[in-house]
Amino acid sequence: MVFLSFLRIIKFSFQDIYRNIWLSIVTITILILALFSINLLLAVRVISETAISAVKDKIDVSLYLKPDAADEEIMALKGQVSNLSQVKEVNYISKAQALEFFQEKNKDNPEILQALQELGKNPLTPSLVITPKSAEVANELIGELNKIESDLIESQNFSDNQLLLDKINSLTDKINEIGMIISLIFIFSTLLVVYNAVRVEIYTHREEIGIMRLVGASNSFVHMPFLLSSLIYTLIGTVAAVFIFYPFLSLLQPYLANFFAGYNINVISYFSSNFIKIFGLEFLAVALINALASWMAVRRYSKV
Amino acid sequence: MIKLLNISKIYHPDVAALKDVNLHIKPGEFISIVGQSGTGKTTMVKILTGEERASSGKVLVGGWDITNIGQREVPWLRRQIGVIFQDFKLLPKKNLRENVSFALEVCGNTPTKIGSIVPQVMKIVGLEDKQGRYPHEVSGGEQQRAAIARALVHRPKILLADEPTGNLDSINANEIIELLLRINRFGTTVVLVTHNREVVNKLKRRVITLDNGVIVSDQEVGKYIL
Repeated sequence: MVFLSFLRIIKFSFQDIYRNIWLSIVTITILILALFSINLLLAVRVISETAISAVKDKIDVSLYLKPDAADEEIMALKGQVSNLSQVKEVNYISKAQALEFFQEKNKDNPEILQALQELGKNPLTPSLVITPKSAEVANELIGELNKIESDLIESQNFSDNQLLLDKINSLTDKINEIGMIISLIFIFSTLLVVYNAVRVEIYTHREEIGIMRLVGASNSFVHMPFLLSSLIYTLIGTVAAVFIFYPFLSLLQPYLANFFAGYNINVISYFSSNFIKIFGLEFLAVALINALASWMAVRRYSKV
Repeated sequence: MIKLLNISKIYHPDVAALKDVNLHIKPGEFISIVGQSGTGKTTMVKILTGEERASSGKVLVGGWDITNIGQREVPWLRRQIGVIFQDFKLLPKKNLRENVSFALEVCGNTPTKIGSIVPQVMKIVGLEDKQGRYPHEVSGGEQQRAAIARALVHRPKILLADEPTGNLDSINANEIIELLLRINRFGTTVVLVTHNREVVNKLKRRVITLDNGVIVSDQEVGKYIL
């Protein structure tokens, strides 16, 4: 009997959607827009996090040493620097390696290579490339390095990545804020649209609802088709959002790959590997919002 | 079967639809409640069907105290009381058989049970040949018969008829009253709410007269006295 009632509730629910087809289409469209904006926001987060981690990885400090420094002295200095609590790793670049890297870097610039050859000797100095444990301790590390008094150190180069990092962080925060506002507007619109859709459905069915109540249909039997309609809207909206969002990501991915050349950034694989988590949670959240809107509309307007 | 004990219904402090009404309707009775428009007849029907709550007093239906009936219990009450109205309340997009079946469908009955009950009630009301017709394809009297059939599907012990002949000509009205009498002979208590003098006088049954929310007359074999 329960199963039979459930089947009838499904039947009535589909009738509701079909009889108010335009309203149903508008409701689903708003849902898709809401989900699209949320997913877009998520994609922006993924991209910005990748960019930030790329910049963070690049933060390092170089200590340029005197060309005639003995290897033992350099190793002692390396050990001293490695012992600092802010240091993740220290790489020693010898004069020969520095020349090798320089030549590799300028392989497409014959004039520089020619000048180097004419010089007849290796003009580069050995160096220690120090990677901090995190971007946040980079400034602290520089302070510690400045305290080291060693005749070996010729000069220091602290790349100013922190500024870039701050700029990216601030840009990401702004994008997140705007995205959050857009998403909230869409979520609120969804709530209103679903509420209104159910209200109109109830108005369309007021005669039927009145007769249902008259002949002793249970309250749940009267209410359930409308709640189910909202769940069907959610399901169709979520599935449609997936089908629209993936082609959008496919269009976006080549541009991202090009822009972040050398970094592993793939938003499609991010969404694919977190598919259930992302779209499942979105379905549950929207279903909850829609069920709430339907429940409010049913309670208020189904007393025909 | 039905007991109203000191029932009052006050909508606004100065508007009382029913005032201290006491009424006892015995099982199997055929009773007419008469009175002019706005005397509280429909309010009484609404209280009996759980659509309204009495402001004070006690309402018993078949021993069940429905004075402060909860929303969840109302459907169970309505399965025990059949109700018909002046405007029939049939769904225009369903044929007569579907209209009657609908009452069983929404209460979770199986297709087998529906298939067994519906033809029986359609036969009782004399619509077995017109089951496939839509409400607009039959007369007002036939629409009211379909509404009666729908009210009977739950085999109610009480049938409330709120102005059932209000939209009918005298021939159809008499046929509907005859049908209600026949249903009453099967043992169903019938409460007829009407202001049709001719119908009431012809019935020669118990008549309750309401005036301004108060019972002014209760005659065992009564007449329309207002």
